[in-house]
Amino acid sequence: MFPDGNPPAGRLPTGIRELDEILGGGIPENSINIIMGAPGSGKTTLAEEFIFANANNGKRPILYLTTLSEPLDKVIRYLQHFRFFDSEKMGSAVQYEGFGTELTANGIGALLPKLKDAIKTLAPKIIVIDSFKAIHDLSTSAQDMRLMLHEVAGLLAAYNTTVLLVGEYRHDDIATYPEFAVSDGIIELARNSLGTRDERYLRVFKLRGSAYQQGFHAFDITDAGLQVYPRLVSPVEAASYKRDVNRTPSGVPGLDPMLGGGFWTGTATLLAGPTGSGKTTMAIQFILEGLRRGEPCLLVNFQENPTQLAYQLEQMAGKLDKDARSRLELQYYSAVELSIDRIVVSIFRALRRNGIRRVVIDALGDLATAAGDPTRMHGYLYALVQHFVVMGVSSLLTLETDPPIMASHESHGRLSHMTDNIVFLEIRSHDGIVGRTLRIAKARGTAHDLQARELQIDGGGLRIGKARG
Amino acid sequence: MADDLEPAGERKVIILVVDRDPHVRELEAHFLNQAGYSVGFAKDGDGALEQARKIVPEIIITEILVPVLDGLTLCRRLKADPETRDIAVLVFSILSAADRAREAGADAFLLKPLAEHTLVDTVRQLLEARSARIKRAQHVS
Repeated sequence: MFPDGNPPAGRLPTGIRELDEILGGGIPENSINIIMGAPGSGKTTLAEEFIFANANNGKRPILYLTTLSEPLDKVIRYLQHFRFFDSEKMGSAVQYEGFGTELTANGIGALLPKLKDAIKTLAPKIIVIDSFKAIHDLSTSAQDMRLMLHEVAGLLAAYNTTVLLVGEYRHDDIATYPEFAVSDGIIELARNSLGTRDERYLRVFKLRGSAYQQGFHAFDITDAGLQVYPRLVSPVEAASYKRDVNRTPSGVPGLDPMLGGGFWTGTATLLAGPTGSGKTTMAIQFILEGLRRGEPCLLVNFQENPTQLAYQLEQMAGKLDKDARSRLELQYYSAVELSIDRIVVSIFRALRRNGIRRVVIDALGDLATAAGDPTRMHGYLYALVQHFVVMGVSSLLTLETDPPIMASHESHGRLSHMTDNIVFLEIRSHDGIVGRTLRIAKARGTAHDLQARELQIDGGGLRIGKARG
Repeated sequence: MADDLEPAGERKVIILVVDRDPHVRELEAHFLNQAGYSVGFAKDGDGALEQARKIVPEIIITEILVPVLDGLTLCRRLKADPETRDIAVLVFSILSAADRAREAGADAFLLKPLAEHTLVDTVRQLLEARSARIKRAQHVS
């Protein structure tokens, strides 16, 4: 009858695996948490997903109290559109109750006896109050509200239950509303406009006694509920990884000798050049070489869909056999429609899922469009490249230099720092003849050919020609 | 200093709850009453000691952090007094202090918050153990 030590606080899953990762395992049991955000930000959806993920018939029920924001019938009507909804749990494992009328009639003092009664009769393992902020509107004074909240917080802390207070709070409210002082966790949901699209973000402001992933994490709301894309951060083992000592052949005849045998495996290469200089062709050659060597490869493209890309690949290499095709993953995104978080997380998941050895991102300018600004893209790209390096994945990132979307001096400097190799493709006029050239500006850890060389192109792709003056 | 929130009525008070927090006292009383036990209250250790000597409950459930006389000192004093040493002591605290409770002579320890099934189950076990202990003592004498 003497438990050993201090048991770690249990966690309740949110129903969203990625959010659980952000929260360090889920919402801590026996905690009071605030879910804040503007109307339409997804607060109620998150609360509902959480309760259905934890609802078990025959066990302690979950109480969802609605106050004065939305009528109960409306909440339940829309709840049924989500796939996590389970009608068999309604009325038993999940009990919705409208509390607005009682609050209006009796004032904020009605909340404490209501919660006591609920604990005594239902013994709920989770209590949601939606909207808690609306209760403020019924308060006759700030002092009354503070006293009531002190009592309510005391009661909820004394009992073995986990609480969500949902409300349309703004940032200013954090400093003034007393519930923020007594809460153990605060999750904010927000919506920002980016060009013609909206981006949804969540962030954890506070999670007492627990580590969590800081910063803004993108999410979407679908009929499955919240789809969360945790912010990609640099891998923790970045400082201690062991660099690969093998070479990764480029697939471009004549290029590997310029690099001392190919790119070092696990390095990142920036392939920069103007339109028509051969970047995509060289990127495809890089992928085809990997496929020929039996390596799983990922080609991320923003302009051609997988069918168009597969056609282009076959034009250069002939029809890919079944084995090669199975090792190739093509990802296509519309940079105008999708957030960079979603793209980067999808790339990262493919790396982990398929044991990818080579990656091409064609092109960084499109990724910058998805990010909204180059600075933001740099942060994500840096983390992604660090993951490539630690995982020993060789990457090739193409960069359009005409028009110079990412070609500012500052931008180039940052890209140069985060990549190991830089290859420039150029279109030059020489003796009145316009031709392509290739120049290696940087190849970390290897003695490389500094000479610009002619680049010939035919049906099989690019090949290195003679040196140009 | 006794704080009788509930009149004992005709039933024998067998559990004394010692806690400074009225919500905890109220909820504990509710779930223990529901399980068929009678409950008395004290909101500090001194009042609890006084009540214990007066009514000799079967069980005292005490928080460590109570005013005047803390829960562990209360436990030591109860166990040192022949009149009260048979009272089973359950330390029910927000402090993770199972070892300290054991050293003070407590019969069981539970960490808050209140989980009604765990509380009632522990009380039942303590009553069974106490009853067996008393029977053994009677048998020996």
